Amino acid sequence: MSLEAEYRLRFLQQTTRRHFATGCATGLAGMWMASQQAFGDTSRFVPTHDPNNPLSPVPSPKVAKAKRIIYLHMVGAPSQLELFDYKEDLQKLDGKDCPDSFLEGRRFAFINGVPKMLGPQYPFEQHGESGAWVSDRMPHFAKQVDKVCFIKSMRTDQFNHGPAQLMVHTGQARMGYPSIGSWVTWGLGTENEDLPGYIVLLSGGRLPRVGKALWSAGFLPSVYQGVQCRSQGDPVLNISDPEGVSRDSRRKMLDAISKLNQRSYERFGDPETLTRIAQYEMAFRMQAAVPEAMDIKRESAETLEDYGAEPGKQSFANNCLLARRLAEAGVRFIQLYDWGWDSHGADRNEAINAGFQNKCKQVDRPIAALLKDLEKRGMLEDTLVVWGGEFGRTPMRENRGGGEMAFIGRDHNPGAFTIWMAGGGVKAGMTYGESDPVGYTAAVDPVDLRDFHATLLHLMGLDHNRLNYPFQGLDQKLVGVKPARVVNEILA
Amino acid sequence: MSFSDPASMSHLMVIRKAILAIALATITCWSPWVLAGEPGDSTVDSRVIRFNEDIRPLFTKHCTACHGGVKQAADISFARPETVLPPDGWAIEPGDSAASTLIERVTTNDESIRMPPPEHGRALTADEILTLTLWIDQGAKWSRHWSFEPPVSPPVPEVETADWCRSTIDPFVLEKLEANGVVPARDEAPLRWFRRASIDVTGLPPTDDQRKRFQTLLAEKGDDAYALVVDELLQSPAFGERWASVWLDQIRYADSKGLGLDGKRNVWKYRDWVINAFNNDLPYDEFTRKQIAGDQLPGRTIEDQLATAAHRLTQTNEEGGTDDEEFRTAAVLDRVNTTWQTWMGITFGCVQCHSHPYDPIDHDEYYQFASFFNNTRDCDLNEDWPTVSVPLDPSDFDRASELDREITTLRQTLWEKDFDLLSDDKLWKPVTSLEASSSNETKLVVNEEDGRAEFKTVGTVQRGVTIGLQASVPDGLDQVTAIKLTIAPQDTETAIQDAEWGFVISEIKASLRQAGSDEPLPLDIARVLVDEPTPFYDPQLSLNTKSNRGFAGYTKIHYPRTAALVLRQPLEVSQDSTIELSLDHRVFILASFSLVSRRGWVHLSDDPSLIENEQDESLIASRRKLRELTGKRSSIRSTSVPVLDERPDHLKRPTNLFVRGLFLTKGEPVSSGTPDCLPPLKQFDSDPSTASRRELAEWLVDGNHPLTARVMVNRIWARIFGVGIVATEEDFGSSGEPPSHPELLDSLSVQFQGEFGWSMKRLIREILISRTYRQSSVTRNDLPFEDATNRLLARGPRFRLPAEIVRDQALAISGLLTSTLYGPPVYPPIPDGIWKPFQGSDKWVTPAPGEPGRYRRSIYTYVKRSIPFPMAAAFDAPSREFCTPRRLSSNTPLQALMMLNDQTLLECAEALGKQMSRVDGSVAKQIAHGFETAVCRPPSPQELDDLRDLYQTLIEQNETQPMTILASVLLNLDEVLTK
Repeated sequence: MSLEAEYRLRFLQQTTRRHFATGCATGLAGMWMASQQAFGDTSRFVPTHDPNNPLSPVPSPKVAKAKRIIYLHMVGAPSQLELFDYKEDLQKLDGKDCPDSFLEGRRFAFINGVPKMLGPQYPFEQHGESGAWVSDRMPHFAKQVDKVCFIKSMRTDQFNHGPAQLMVHTGQARMGYPSIGSWVTWGLGTENEDLPGYIVLLSGGRLPRVGKALWSAGFLPSVYQGVQCRSQGDPVLNISDPEGVSRDSRRKMLDAISKLNQRSYERFGDPETLTRIAQYEMAFRMQAAVPEAMDIKRESAETLEDYGAEPGKQSFANNCLLARRLAEAGVRFIQLYDWGWDSHGADRNEAINAGFQNKCKQVDRPIAALLKDLEKRGMLEDTLVVWGGEFGRTPMRENRGGGEMAFIGRDHNPGAFTIWMAGGGVKAGMTYGESDPVGYTAAVDPVDLRDFHATLLHLMGLDHNRLNYPFQGLDQKLVGVKPARVVNEILA
Repeated sequence: MSFSDPASMSHLMVIRKAILAIALATITCWSPWVLAGEPGDSTVDSRVIRFNEDIRPLFTKHCTACHGGVKQAADISFARPETVLPPDGWAIEPGDSAASTLIERVTTNDESIRMPPPEHGRALTADEILTLTLWIDQGAKWSRHWSFEPPVSPPVPEVETADWCRSTIDPFVLEKLEANGVVPARDEAPLRWFRRASIDVTGLPPTDDQRKRFQTLLAEKGDDAYALVVDELLQSPAFGERWASVWLDQIRYADSKGLGLDGKRNVWKYRDWVINAFNNDLPYDEFTRKQIAGDQLPGRTIEDQLATAAHRLTQTNEEGGTDDEEFRTAAVLDRVNTTWQTWMGITFGCVQCHSHPYDPIDHDEYYQFASFFNNTRDCDLNEDWPTVSVPLDPSDFDRASELDREITTLRQTLWEKDFDLLSDDKLWKPVTSLEASSSNETKLVVNEEDGRAEFKTVGTVQRGVTIGLQASVPDGLDQVTAIKLTIAPQDTETAIQDAEWGFVISEIKASLRQAGSDEPLPLDIARVLVDEPTPFYDPQLSLNTKSNRGFAGYTKIHYPRTAALVLRQPLEVSQDSTIELSLDHRVFILASFSLVSRRGWVHLSDDPSLIENEQDESLIASRRKLRELTGKRSSIRSTSVPVLDERPDHLKRPTNLFVRGLFLTKGEPVSSGTPDCLPPLKQFDSDPSTASRRELAEWLVDGNHPLTARVMVNRIWARIFGVGIVATEEDFGSSGEPPSHPELLDSLSVQFQGEFGWSMKRLIREILISRTYRQSSVTRNDLPFEDATNRLLARGPRFRLPAEIVRDQALAISGLLTSTLYGPPVYPPIPDGIWKPFQGSDKWVTPAPGEPGRYRRSIYTYVKRSIPFPMAAAFDAPSREFCTPRRLSSNTPLQALMMLNDQTLLECAEALGKQMSRVDGSVAKQIAHGFETAVCRPPSPQELDDLRDLYQTLIEQNETQPMTILASVLLNLDEVLTK
């Protein structure tokens, strides 16, 4: 085939991909639509990846303050009332019957009838120049508050873990929708071709309830789903060559596959074959790049000490350090899940006055180290760090089954919770929004999850309305169908 | 500017002339593409504008966002002609574009009134405006969207090279090729065609023997060999295993429940039913009737009921503290959406919240449709109830079905007698004086209401409460034969729509306290009568101390529920004696919701008929008979599968519109119905409020529905050609793509529902024996634009195989594949650390290497929604949360790693390598054998050289298993992974 013909074919293939990626009217209309992008049709941003690499970087349509996101999700929903949202008034109500007005028309997961109010269980102090309130459970993090922007008026409409986690990460309460990381890597690709663009790290313990649905690509092409990297075993599934196969043999083998596939391309002329050749090469490079990026033994003893990381273990501390390494290597979206934050008080591990303390210890130092480390390396400017859970916890003490429980716990509260962000284009040392005097509802400047999503996308240089994809008869967006707003007030 | 102003009229004319000029220029400049759509246009004015092809897409693209189903700005909807055309509409004057507001508004230079407004979208192009103008001048004829018109068998087109055609499909394809001046591709090499056909029919490549047989047949019978082998392939049981997977994507089959714990769901018998249905070529109309309404078919069999598991594959939520009603509702709406998507190719989900943006389907029509599905007994229960007990051995189906029918009839007859007694007001006297006490923190009050005394809980209800009731004997009662207990929702009005948490009475004790006596006399209760024929919990268990179950509204209560305790002997009572009841509640849901009676009252009866009913010889005999039958039935080894089953009429759930789609904000009540834009529902009887799922199924498959056959034909076509005749398989509505070959689609659809008798095998055969299908899949360099999507069908299909086939093919090539059909899910090898289910009891136990269970076909692999099988996920298989109309295909490095290093693939490579080494002769011969087994054709000399070179290099590198590595290369070839 002539070079010109090949080029034309490539172009067509790309257009065709785009056509299927957007599902627009017809093949011909698809091309027409694509050409219209150039004429300023603003209805949809269609990322134009290299046809041989659907993860190739794409310039963001808007100015991007953040190039990558590190998202720390505390699965189970940490109590904002014991960490960042200090409520003096709640202390005064401690032990009193919950007022009827708090209960009317509300649905709870576990609270029955009339529960008692529960004051903050740990002392709070103000920290840093910004004077942010942090409880004594997070002493290391407390020293970093001037890097952080708190949002204390987050709210959601889901009060069970599974649906609520899905709400946070996919904007929908049911399984089957793309996660934030998928939207972002679809929209922007990734900077390091030898690593997955969207990496998920788990601290160990149980998988989050809805499992991989939290990092699913939903209806987006599956190449945009999160890739779980592990600190034990193969860091990426099947990345190790089988025992007894030398790297050299593998190279020879791949050469043979490429050669034969090239012949296949000459025979059938299918551009998809060229893509496959490229993907096999990328897989080969990944086999070297991923283990290197995942190897924290390459870090200094001092750094390991800062994070509290121990090579070979599965831990949140290791994952924070890995997150920095991966961010450095150009991974677009790094998602950490920690577990065990569901402090109902139903047993010791999940009680505000017991297991919660351990959880705080496990995350406090690594989070502080991550923020310091990113700053030291000049990466905090364009790396957005997000911390949060899937909802908040009630200012009432849980009374499961209608009686007093042995441990102290709080039930699920979708009405108010706290998240924080740092770096990547958000104001440092700021608090946005307030919950009511007992921390039950978002009272001042409420931020819905869709607004939070719109803000994340904005920071990454994407427009939440233009980043959409047709599925089930709707132009689906991360922010859903209700109007969402970028929280401009927190932008640096 | 207004229309009465002559100056502006002439201004408009000037603009129109200018537009014509621009339009002509545009057409010239875009000619290659425009010509492809409308060949042969030379003069603009002669263009005949067709509404569906030319106009509707413009409305959908530019107008319906604001003037459509969601928003009807200025009461104009371009989805509905009556709002646009006279007499009621005013935007368009047919025959007079100059007088049409529409044209004025799209052509004006005044940005403040231009449509679409600049902030909503770009201005229409000159060509678009010209199209609209011509259409109006030609009379502004509106047509219904093409897919809402029934398919009509089109005449077979005249083609120049008629001898090219082999099946009824070919003339339609050839006509379009000839019209575009394109010659069809040459025929595919026979062996490559055979591989393609084998994979399409069975999901497996042909074996060595099959290949040889085909070549012999070809030599003996010539062209007839093609149809013969297709017929043979269609007889293979592997056919059902391949095509069931296509259906399971639509119907969102999984072996787990979804949200919450994503626990195991025992529903594999349904998967086997689908495989079996395909293998037996169950006609698509029957296939549909059984899945939508198998439980309502007369003389229903086990398999009829089993088929309705199709709609029990919805996600349920077992997480603690979830509202069962919320997730039941979500499941019902998913059934609605899946039915539309799967059977009618219409995206219906959007109508949950508002009228359809592009298609003429109203918001309330969604809920009318939902009403068909809203009265089933399932309600997000952890037990997945109701279930049907399906015999493990299908040869027991007939006997079990017969027993089930007898049991159902007898149980119903007996229950009707009970229910008559229970609901006969003449038999019962209300207790007007009642005292209530609680065993724990739960607080109770007693009120007088409607001439009876009733208890109610207030405030916190503590779990495990025993409620004590002291009922004074009403005036005029000398004896008591039965005690009737009614448990009611706290708010009877609202609970019908928004059910309250229900109750379970784990134990009921009744006693009589005579005036002046300290010792209550325990009463001997013969039986508990209840108000439903097949309650989830056996109400007699309320009399059993050991069981926590019993009379219940489980887990929700819509209506007051009644049970009667029939005494063994009439009990003499005096006016000052009291009947004491103790209601023990021991059931709660996952540590959260206590299932406690929150309101109730008591009636007493002195009527002897209640006790006589217990002593009646024939009834006693019937009850014994029932026990015998159920005993026989339970001796048949069976497994419980969730199915659809209706609630009895007196406990029917009403359906309401949800305001903006939210289940907590209910609007007007609705009754079952289908949208007006489609043919009317034919009811078996005249009462419109009783339209059933059976009637709905009939509506889909009675041959009048314009979508049913088209959507299935298109789906089968798409699986074979890689893209449907309608490329947007999921959307046959106005925002979907029009068909590339509308006459072909209609011709096949008419055949499918007529001549073929809805036979899917017959339809697949028709496609596979066609000359169109036989074309070579080599890219058409002469057709750079058309070839990219192959919409002209100028070559054969070529695309990467679906996930299941990628794996099954590797197992087949290497000879490892186990061909056992059916059975519970299997657990092939997965990498360590993948399997971390929320429930520890949910084990992934892989059979050891060499054991057949390790190498079953992929359709039998356990499908867990939250932990997808890695190979399936890497190769784009959906995780089956929702209906997936078509899979998107990706091409990623993770696929390469999977093919190179996954345990299953390593075992395949090893087995194939051994197979190759066993071949007598040279290394070259061994390699050629492997190549032919994997690729289904002999290698070319260069290919053989490449592989021999690799072998040589590996030997030089002292590689211990060179043939295994060669086998791995073969399994990774593009030609192997691709159809």
